[in-house]
Amino acid sequence: MVSIKGMWSRRSRGKAETAPAAEADASLAQQLKAPATAVTHLDLDIAPNDPLLAYLQSASGPVEIANLKLDSPALEKLRAGGAVLVLPLVSQGELVGLVNLGPRLSEQDYSLDDRKLLADLAAQAAPAVRVAQLVRQQQIETQARERLEQELRVARVIQQTLLPRELPKPDGWQVAAHWQPAQAVSGDFYDFINLPGGKLAVIVADVTGKGVPAALVMAAARSMLRMAAEQEPEAPGKVLAHVNEMLCGDIPPNMFVTCLYGILDPATGRFVFANAGHNLPAKCATEAVVELRATGMPLGLLPGMEYDEQESNVAPGESVLIYSDGLVEAHNPQGEMFGFPRLRQMACGLGGGSELIERLRGALADFAGAGWEQEDDVTFVTVQRLPPANKVLANFKVASAPDNEREAVEKVAGAVAGLGLPADRLERLKTAVAEATMNAMEHGNNYDPDKPVVIEVRAEPDCVVVAITDQGGEKELPQTEAPDLDAKLAGLQSPRGWGLFLIKSMVDEVRAQTDGPHHTVELTMRLANSADGATSAAGVAAATKGGGR
Amino acid sequence: MAPNKITVDVRKPNPRVAVLDIKGDVTNQAEAALLDAYNKACDGGTKNVALNFTGLEYMNSSGIGLLVTMLIRAQRNGQKLLAYGLTDHYHQIFELTQLDKAIRICADEANALASAE
Repeated sequence: MVSIKGMWSRRSRGKAETAPAAEADASLAQQLKAPATAVTHLDLDIAPNDPLLAYLQSASGPVEIANLKLDSPALEKLRAGGAVLVLPLVSQGELVGLVNLGPRLSEQDYSLDDRKLLADLAAQAAPAVRVAQLVRQQQIETQARERLEQELRVARVIQQTLLPRELPKPDGWQVAAHWQPAQAVSGDFYDFINLPGGKLAVIVADVTGKGVPAALVMAAARSMLRMAAEQEPEAPGKVLAHVNEMLCGDIPPNMFVTCLYGILDPATGRFVFANAGHNLPAKCATEAVVELRATGMPLGLLPGMEYDEQESNVAPGESVLIYSDGLVEAHNPQGEMFGFPRLRQMACGLGGGSELIERLRGALADFAGAGWEQEDDVTFVTVQRLPPANKVLANFKVASAPDNEREAVEKVAGAVAGLGLPADRLERLKTAVAEATMNAMEHGNNYDPDKPVVIEVRAEPDCVVVAITDQGGEKELPQTEAPDLDAKLAGLQSPRGWGLFLIKSMVDEVRAQTDGPHHTVELTMRLANSADGATSAAGVAAATKGGGR
Repeated sequence: MAPNKITVDVRKPNPRVAVLDIKGDVTNQAEAALLDAYNKACDGGTKNVALNFTGLEYMNSSGIGLLVTMLIRAQRNGQKLLAYGLTDHYHQIFELTQLDKAIRICADEANALASAE
């Protein structure tokens, strides 16, 4: 339907003719207020198949409609309204308006001059009307877009209220999160739920697609996860299985939700997790980043799914990074993908927390380039176990007497008990402490009962340091020969002399220093097990930096 | 601290093998107990001496020195030393010191008896 607003005018003869001469002094505005014509507006809808439409579009100049023979409802309406002459306004072949005129006041026909004047008017008025129509149309569209944008802004605010307002702050942990929708609203979300026993559920999920449809499913999935978490506070796999059942009935067939659901015990660092098709979380330590693997189908695809539960221990200084695919699947202008190897490289050496998130954001921005149009929602969550502050865990003396190294070992083991040192590292530290204490008692203090060995145990951000001090600082350090079993068996070396070799082999670093009468050996043992594969070799190599007797 | 303690019992499950059941700490103080037991094990010309470390509580560098001394004697006597029952930690120490090259490490007693020449 083409809607044409037509109008026509009829001169108010009496008024014009009887206008008093004095009125000539009146202001122009007043003259305009007293119209000399009667103008009637008519909303005329012309159906697309109405022959009048084609007729008027192709007419040149005004059209007399009295004798027009067309089967046209619009024409009937025009006639009924009193129009005799119709001036089509055509712009670029399109009928944009009509000026409909009633009979002349003189009751004569419209003259050729009148018609020419009208034709000229139409030629000038049509483009102006078209421009006005376009402006009006644009205004309407702008208003509609603004309304939509406003609604999306509100939707985003509402969605943000579905994200945690405050990050949890378990003792000794730092939790950080970043949420960056590709559009006003997002299908990504993260959540934290406080569970009984001080445990914390950590959730990152990603609904397929983005924008409003994804955001609607996100809101539903979040509620379902919260409900299921209450029912199954101990079992991430069961939570995902419950939510999968609920979503399967509700979600459109082409949509699904990937989700990583983990339960953290801040007291121990134990992180139990299940994964519904989400990116594998990364455990970031000083020297390595490992992926935490658990398998399961995305939520909402197939009913009856089961979800594998796995666990990992997060040591002091380590963190778990959970992220959505907007990060690893971002492309740079050359079409390369950000990818996990890059993430691994970035995350290595950073404990976690907001520092890691800032670094990843920066890396993503640099990688994607200045004109990046974000392809997908980007979400990161990190939970970092804070390294212990540098503090003295123990400081004690051991009398210099045979076998007293056992006492030193027991005390050091007790002091480091809360640091989460893996069992094998603890055993190695104990052996190193025993040997260094024996050296101190025997060679430093000559088993003199008045000269105790002083032992200090310090926790540093990612390691424990045991400093063992004797009073043999002024003695010259004997040159030691590296023990060689073949030489010993051949009688070329003493069967003994393994102490220093063992110390160097057991810990990550050995340093020796002499301060006046005191001689101190510092044993450094990292808390994490990351480089265990090469521990022995690395330990011996690192130890060459140190020294001792 | 409890005084350093060690007991070493000698068994001969078969004429070719003597087993030393080491219980307690292998340190400097273990010298007499360990070497006496070794001498006892040698009686009768036993070719293989298996060290049962299942009861080992602690071993230090002096203890390793004792094992080297025992190894030298065994080589002199044309005997073979075997060991079993080591924890992962002491197994690692055997590797680091290369004692595992000279003393055959076995999973358990049955394995040690089977490995005896």
